[in-house]
Amino acid sequence: MSTVLTALQYLGYILIFPGFLFCFLAGMLLCGIDRKVVAKMQKRVGPPVLQPFYDFFKLLGKETIVPAAASKVVFLGAPLVGFAALVVIQLFIPVFSFTVFTGVADVIVILYLLLIPAMAAILGGAASGSPYAGVGLSREMVTIISCELPLVLILLAVGKTVGSFLGTGITFSLTDIAAYQAANGSLITKASMIPAAIAMLLVIPGETGNHPFDAAEAETEICEGLLAEYSGAPLAVYKLTHAVKMLTLTSLFVALFLGGIGTGIMLVDGIILFLLCVVLTILTISLVHAVTARMKIEQIFKYYWTVVSGLALISLVLAWYGL
Amino acid sequence: MSMLSYQHFPIYSIMVLFLGAFLIVMLGRNKAVRNILALLAVTASFCFLAALVKPVMINGEIIAYWMGGRAPAGGYAIGIALEVDALSLFFGLLVATAVLVSCIYSIQYMSHDHNVREYYTLFLMLSGGVMGLVLSGDIFNMFIMVEILTFAAVALTAFRNTAKGALEAAFKYLVVGSMGSTCILVGTIMLYAQVHTLNFAQLSALIPGNLNNATKLAFALLFIGFGTKAFIVPFHPLAADAHGAAPASISVLISGVLTKSGIYGIIRLSYFLFQSMGLGTVQFMLVFFGCMSMFICVTMALAQHDFKRLLAFHSISQIGYVLTAVGLCTALGISAGLYHAMNHTLFKGLLFLAAGAVLHQTGTTDLDRLGGLSKKMPWTTVLFLIGAFSISGIPPFNGFASKWMIYQATYEKAVESGNIGFLLVTIIALITSVLTLASFVKVSQSVFFGQLPKEYENVKEVSFGMRFAMCIFALLCVVTGLFPNLVTKYLTEPAANAVFNVTNYINSMMGSGYAESVMGESLPAVQTCTFVEVGCWNPVSWLLVLAIALLAVTLVAVCGKYDQVSENKGAALTDSKYDLFFGGEESVYSQVGGGDLFWGFKHNWRHYFSFMHDLHSGIVNDYALWAVVALALVTVFLQIVL
Amino acid sequence: MFKKLIAESAAKSPWLFHINAGSCNGCDIELVSVLTPRYDAERLGFKLTGTPRHADIVVVTGPVTKQSLPRVLRAISQVPEPRCIVTMGSCPQSGNVFKGSYSVAGPLSKYVHVDVDVAGCAPKPEAVIDGLALATKILKEKREQM
Repeated sequence: MSTVLTALQYLGYILIFPGFLFCFLAGMLLCGIDRKVVAKMQKRVGPPVLQPFYDFFKLLGKETIVPAAASKVVFLGAPLVGFAALVVIQLFIPVFSFTVFTGVADVIVILYLLLIPAMAAILGGAASGSPYAGVGLSREMVTIISCELPLVLILLAVGKTVGSFLGTGITFSLTDIAAYQAANGSLITKASMIPAAIAMLLVIPGETGNHPFDAAEAETEICEGLLAEYSGAPLAVYKLTHAVKMLTLTSLFVALFLGGIGTGIMLVDGIILFLLCVVLTILTISLVHAVTARMKIEQIFKYYWTVVSGLALISLVLAWYGL
Repeated sequence: MSMLSYQHFPIYSIMVLFLGAFLIVMLGRNKAVRNILALLAVTASFCFLAALVKPVMINGEIIAYWMGGRAPAGGYAIGIALEVDALSLFFGLLVATAVLVSCIYSIQYMSHDHNVREYYTLFLMLSGGVMGLVLSGDIFNMFIMVEILTFAAVALTAFRNTAKGALEAAFKYLVVGSMGSTCILVGTIMLYAQVHTLNFAQLSALIPGNLNNATKLAFALLFIGFGTKAFIVPFHPLAADAHGAAPASISVLISGVLTKSGIYGIIRLSYFLFQSMGLGTVQFMLVFFGCMSMFICVTMALAQHDFKRLLAFHSISQIGYVLTAVGLCTALGISAGLYHAMNHTLFKGLLFLAAGAVLHQTGTTDLDRLGGLSKKMPWTTVLFLIGAFSISGIPPFNGFASKWMIYQATYEKAVESGNIGFLLVTIIALITSVLTLASFVKVSQSVFFGQLPKEYENVKEVSFGMRFAMCIFALLCVVTGLFPNLVTKYLTEPAANAVFNVTNYINSMMGSGYAESVMGESLPAVQTCTFVEVGCWNPVSWLLVLAIALLAVTLVAVCGKYDQVSENKGAALTDSKYDLFFGGEESVYSQVGGGDLFWGFKHNWRHYFSFMHDLHSGIVNDYALWAVVALALVTVFLQIVL
Repeated sequence: MFKKLIAESAAKSPWLFHINAGSCNGCDIELVSVLTPRYDAERLGFKLTGTPRHADIVVVTGPVTKQSLPRVLRAISQVPEPRCIVTMGSCPQSGNVFKGSYSVAGPLSKYVHVDVDVAGCAPKPEAVIDGLALATKILKEKREQM
């Protein structure tokens, strides 16, 4: 009996919170809020906050065209795999003190799990056969390379800070990081972690492919890049994946730097997490979007490997010497 | 001792390969006969080694075998010996697996070539050479095996000598490979002059007490010699040429087997002969060469225009990972390094076979000319993607499991030793991984996705035999990735334990108490291989959750008629609706791919790339010079620090 | 429930794909001005896309020259159903001052069913928004008929 209940409980985690339903609703809302805030900053009224939902359902109702040059299975399958893999990541990121699956994946694993949705998008685009997608995948891959170095440095810095406190030297376990923050307050309150936190904030728009780092999906020059040949339901899934990615990265930021403020009640924690994600989205995606123009791909690379990595490196060196 | 006692199995597993080579020369005019002979030889060799797993890996025995029963007399080991501990068996099993799969693949792959009899003869000579090297307990026999395998490999590199560059590649390999072999020979002679024995166990006991300038020079010579066999950094251009020219089934052996023999030699040399386990300087040397190989080769791979050359550079890059991890000298590091060595054989074998399949069906491996093969060769595409994900460390495939252990090992080492240099190693390892991913994205776009060129419209999928060989590798890639704990428990940990128990190795060969009597106080403490992982990765649970999630998504998608799509069913071939969008223009062949796909990245590194371009002149004199310079540097370094 | 949501959303998220069929650039600029803060068509969900595969409404400007005709038709055929075709300005409707020129193949309605015509040279942004709003209604109807 109890095993059935446990199974149902975990199914609930996967399907409802923090799994599919939460990801779907929260991701779409984040996307809507982002569009609204950008509009407000440009003195526009902007679309309704529910606009991403309309977009999503409209796309579901459209015809799906598979170009003759495409490899059908990969073309249609890639969006689904990418979305499922992304939602699964959300299950390993702690919601303050609560994690659905502990002992399955640590931060380094999450770094690599985050590559799966990106790879799905790249392979899907490549399978469409469009030369625009070819250019798009090149840029997408370079963006991934760009973000990888700062992310690695940030994770190493966090791992060292928490690990030296725990006495094990280092740790990559998200549970340990959450426990440390519950005991000692959020990591962002440590002076040595502030540069890393800023670097992480700068990485978020790059990882999600938002302005000004959206060279891979530039609609004006390369016709939406990877998505050039997608229409209908697969496109809807891609748009959803993009929205959920914003949630995943902001909640990863919360887990890494703003932990330890949860109440222990799941519902309340969920709401606090969502509110924090909203604030972070506005800060990192909307504000940056409204005030910047798209960068060239080589500029993106240079920016991440110098400025952002430099910030993260400062944190790493400070953490190394125990400050 | 009966003939079927497992004590005899090591020599059998070497013998059957050479015997097979011999028989094929005599009887191999008939196609069926030579195929059966070759398959029998490699299968028998594999079975003999597999039978040793229980006594050696699980029970921890060490098989000391004296040819002709000439056990040591008067404290000196004169006879020829085989010594199989868990480390030897680990590498032996890798060799046997790769050889077996490559042989299955060869049957179809080589069917259109001439002189297939000679091919199989050389193939088995190469296999037997590597097998003899890893099972040998005698340094001079190791040298003999090195010679056999080098010349077999050179001949096989030039096997398709009508192809462009094959003879040139073979010549380069011959020159630098012979320099390496000579280094090993001179190193062996110097050791013999100093301590008057060639037996590995006895050398291991005697050298630490006789460390003088001559033995240090021998260390440098042997290191460079085995380094040439592993193609680590100053020798990497050879690998690129050799792989580019050799048949794919031979690339599997060169990359999966031959480089492993170099790594095996370096491990034996550093940790057994010179027992430099605790020395920071030797650690530095190994990790330095490892990191250089890792990073330089991955960037070189990004600039390649040829499928097989690209794979060749990645092969060395992954060997860099192995060397780095092994050089850390921690339990986790050595375990991770051996794990990655195993994975490297599997995924690299798979990738070379996939490249061979493409070459076999289209006649080219030029990335600028291929494209869109996924529609014509779906099996090869899926198998290639498994290999590509494995090598780029995408979970849950095997490359991730071992790389993830390497990251932890380097970072733990950094914290333990307080040396910020090792932190750089972790970062290089992580970045190399994503660059590897980038170049495999390039390959999948340039070869398997994108648009299909007109000339390849009639390409067909490869035959069952070739697919079967690739499937074996792919299956092993998935299995070893999903169950990292089993792999470490039954394969890499026993092997790592063997590295930590030199005394045991010496005593099982020379009689118990020998190590203690010779080495006295300098006897290294016996360690058991235990390590703590600082993170957690449970692939099976992850896959289960992903499967549930994917099931849910698919269910919703199917209910929502996701698969109801409009596609060109062939009736209206000219319907512009199904053309690609070209800004309104008529859809034409336009494939984005080939060598220069990541210009955004390469633009920022243009000075580095042009420097590298100038450096890799393709002139064999230069590469020979690099070998000499590397030897000089290592010699000076070791003379100063050891 | 989903069917209802899909039907409701069909009119609320019209994405535009703009084709210039030999326009003098006047209408093109007016179309962009519709998206500026002053008129802000995004509040109705309008968005410019870069590829016809994403579009619901195709906005055609210009008199449809002989050179551009096959390209216009090809791009329109690549838009997934349900789709709406809106001509903007007088040129694609009648040829305007270019009527009778040797190089003009228009009007567009000779070749493809046009759902909405927005007249004017160039039409005022208010008129454009009005026309587009009408197109969204047609979109919804077309969706219901699918």
